[in-house]
Amino acid sequence: MSPRAAGLAKEAGYTNIKVMLAGVPAWKKKGYPLYASDEFVNRGNIVLIDLRAREKSRRSRIPRSVTIPFSELDDRLDDIPPRAPVVLYSDNAEEAEDAAKKLRKEGIKNVSLVYGDLGRWLESPAASESGPVVTEINWVRKPGRGEVSVADFTRALSGRENAVILDVRTPEECEAGAFPGALHIPLDELPRRTGELPVNKKIYIHCTTGARAEMAYRQLIKDGYRAYFLVADITCDEGACEIDE
Amino acid sequence: MRRNAAVFIPVSIVLVMLTWGCARDTSVTTATGGKTRTVQKQSASIYTGKIVGRSNKAGTISIVVGKGDRARTMMVRFDDRTRGLEHAVKGRAAIITWELRGSEKVATVIKPKLAKLPPGVTEIKPAEVRKLIESGADHVLIDSRPGNRYDQAHLPGAVSIPVDRMKTALKTLPPRKDILLVFYCGGYT
Repeated sequence: MSPRAAGLAKEAGYTNIKVMLAGVPAWKKKGYPLYASDEFVNRGNIVLIDLRAREKSRRSRIPRSVTIPFSELDDRLDDIPPRAPVVLYSDNAEEAEDAAKKLRKEGIKNVSLVYGDLGRWLESPAASESGPVVTEINWVRKPGRGEVSVADFTRALSGRENAVILDVRTPEECEAGAFPGALHIPLDELPRRTGELPVNKKIYIHCTTGARAEMAYRQLIKDGYRAYFLVADITCDEGACEIDE
Repeated sequence: MRRNAAVFIPVSIVLVMLTWGCARDTSVTTATGGKTRTVQKQSASIYTGKIVGRSNKAGTISIVVGKGDRARTMMVRFDDRTRGLEHAVKGRAAIITWELRGSEKVATVIKPKLAKLPPGVTEIKPAEVRKLIESGADHVLIDSRPGNRYDQAHLPGAVSIPVDRMKTALKTLPPRKDILLVFYCGGYT
């Protein structure tokens, strides 16, 4: 994308053009900070964390904030859903950057910061919130294109959807347990075994995280099936499986 | 030599065992081993496109080939003889050479598909971009990704101009043609 954009700028007469080819992934890898747009802070399906002291947060905070003072962050890391886009802010820029690094280290992939001066929220009664702080995180994933929600997947498990469950994990993984009634075709065998799947039903695909399920979904869509994939952590032990968003 | 033979035997046992487990109806194709492979190794082919998934557990790579309505996701297998596996990274463009073994497509070589910069345009590393931002020197930092990606997380001070809107957005750039423009996107795309 960026080389093409650079080419257009060059055609328009610009003479001093550079491209950061390594892109955002490399920037992230270096531990450099990334920022969310104000629109995303206000309306995105995010976990917005106020890292300031409780008292400050109680007086004025960005609407929808969860208050986790920086000093308490370590104890709360487990409460942050790893797939949620997390946006952090603080009146101490260094702490906010440190917190972002901590969260990334914890495996939370989408972490960004509120950009610049917080005054555009905190000093405007209309744009801010006050009162007792919120400490509980309530985040629900909005299924993206091709995804099945945990709710629909669960309904299919109890037979209340016209859908079959397809498990694409390896045979070894299935030995620890599988969902009752699920079809099992390991991902690597799927291209030559799609004929075993029903064409008149929805197919809800799962693996252990959603990565392989998405690959299977792409294969089945190409082959004309009504497939959907589940993005969630599935852990199976002693025959039973659990779903964790 | 002796060591090689010692390694080979356990590997072939493992391969046979892998096809059992809870996939009961799996046909055991590995039992015929190398012989089948040499007979059926008829065609080598190439997929060029964006890697959209790689599973080490399943030993598969998904790659999107073709553009627009003709875009298709193809799945190929890889094994420990596949070269250049480090280039099969989700989100990056790659060139996969594969061969048919039985009914399976197996990657033999994976090469990165490098983005070509227009003549006169140079690469800049993240560390230099960071220095540039901190220095406050005159520049425009442009995020070429779709707007929703920018909204979620972008470089400090960057403006969003998705590549498909670049032509119309040119007039919003500073008129001074020698101003430094720095473009970035989601990696080597």
